[in-house]
Amino acid sequence: MALRKIVLSEDEMPRQWYNILADIKMNPPLGPDGNPVSPDALAPVFPMNLIEQEVSSERWITIPEPVMEVYRIWRPSPLVRAINLEKALDTPARIYFKNEGVSPPGSHKPNTAVPQAYYNKVFGIKRITTETGAGQWGSALSFACSQFGLECKVFMVRISFDQKPYRKTMMGVWGGKCIPSPSMETKAGRDVLAQYPDTPGSLGIAISEAVEAAVSDTTGQTRYSLGSVLNHVMLHQTVIGLEAKNQLAKVGEYPDIIIGCAGGGSNFAGTAFPFVLDKINGKNIEIFPVEPAACPTLTQGPFVYDHGDNAGYTPLLPMHSLGHNFVPAPFHAGGLRYHGMAPTVSQLVNEGLLEAKAVSQLEAYEAGLIFARSEGHIPAPETTHAIAQVVKEARRAKEEGKEKVILFNWSGHGCLDLGAYEKFLAGELTNPIFTEEEKVKAAEAFKNYPRPANLKSR
Amino acid sequence: MESVDPSIRCPRLGSDVPFYYCRKCGENGLPCFKVFDCWWEIFDVVAYLRDELSPVDFERLKGTKPKEKVLSLLEIIEKAKKNASEPPAQ
Ligand SMILES: Cc1ncc(COP(=O)(O)O)c(C=O)c1O
Repeated sequence: MALRKIVLSEDEMPRQWYNILADIKMNPPLGPDGNPVSPDALAPVFPMNLIEQEVSSERWITIPEPVMEVYRIWRPSPLVRAINLEKALDTPARIYFKNEGVSPPGSHKPNTAVPQAYYNKVFGIKRITTETGAGQWGSALSFACSQFGLECKVFMVRISFDQKPYRKTMMGVWGGKCIPSPSMETKAGRDVLAQYPDTPGSLGIAISEAVEAAVSDTTGQTRYSLGSVLNHVMLHQTVIGLEAKNQLAKVGEYPDIIIGCAGGGSNFAGTAFPFVLDKINGKNIEIFPVEPAACPTLTQGPFVYDHGDNAGYTPLLPMHSLGHNFVPAPFHAGGLRYHGMAPTVSQLVNEGLLEAKAVSQLEAYEAGLIFARSEGHIPAPETTHAIAQVVKEARRAKEEGKEKVILFNWSGHGCLDLGAYEKFLAGELTNPIFTEEEKVKAAEAFKNYPRPANLKSR
Repeated sequence: MESVDPSIRCPRLGSDVPFYYCRKCGENGLPCFKVFDCWWEIFDVVAYLRDELSPVDFERLKGTKPKEKVLSLLEIIEKAKKNASEPPAQ
């Protein structure tokens, strides 16, 4: 009988996070005056203990016991051998995934939300503000704040707020207050609403509101929290990779390939950084952060989709969205552009320790279905990007006839993202094949901006 | 063929958005910096925006490189401090 789940006992959990800043050189961000930004400048929004972590170069940082206690609600998370996926792909590769969807809010986000809430608490903070898009981060922070008796206020971008009512409810269940942004609660929000009452909002506005709500508390008891990109967030997420390493060691395995989807970079970094340390020390590993597909340049030619279908899992995708004649206008964006990505991840890409990969929306959903129909769990749309790359690597291993070990992070479940799957199943994502006539019509329609017809008015 | 405004998943928000959102949600009302990466699969967004935007704005969008998170946070903090010190208008 092949072993499927590799579990650690609670007392085998890592006791320290791994800090990559001990092992790579980073240039500090320079302020407008050309001098390095002083960490103190962040004090209006973060407690000092977290700012110290942000700039720390200690290699190992002890996880405080109260954080361990909350982690134990769902950690250690299982490492799963994806036997059925391997069969579906008919690959000689052995595929393992770290299931971070088992946390209460359903993703890896609480790995950092919990310590952030804890450090705010011990610093004497009573209230945390943040922004959220579709709500994964807002839910995680609401859960974490509830564990430490903190108030949580989440500014959720209006367009997502209207689409994902259950996320607001989820935050509310944990005592978090979720407000559509722009709101009347801040000057930043009021100014936008005065000018554009029907605005769908944006992440930029929501961040401004969350920061303003924190700095305007004259008692000094409110701080702001960020769910990705910053060094301390990457640090907290390394619990994923450290656990995975122990779990693989239990079955005598070590990965040849490591894959994670990368938005701000946190779940990817958390999985990969403990292995990057080994790579720096000479291990031969391929490590791939995966982004949504970038606009191809003419030199690359049109994006080529791979619909290799070994197990009959892909009947839904007869062709890619643009038909086979589509060639986008020449445009040179310089490959993957790591906009908004964690500086540590960008740095490692620049140094060649990581190799960025891109997959398209359709490839991602297709991979999500292959996974759900083989392994059962329904992945979050972000996670499907990682899976799409896993599928490619598994097929490459088959072509090369190599028994590679692939580790990837299953960053969250998609049970609150079913709308996206519904569209995909209905074929809507597969057929925006614009005829020439439709293209003209689309151009006309887009000209009429703003046209927020599909927003609910409240 | 009624619907000519398909929505796609925004990787920054994690929910679906129609093109008009991406067209305006960037800095200073410019399109989002990821607009090319997201929409090229659906229609020829590069050609479309080249027509729609002024050459200066198009070049600016093409070359957009957002500030490092810490730097943009510092700017937002400064602005928020100013906002917070102004009494709410009634
Ligand atoms: C399930 C899931 N995976 C991945 C991400 C991407 O974030 P990051 O790159 O910081 O891990 C998100 C962000 O909301 C998410 O909800």
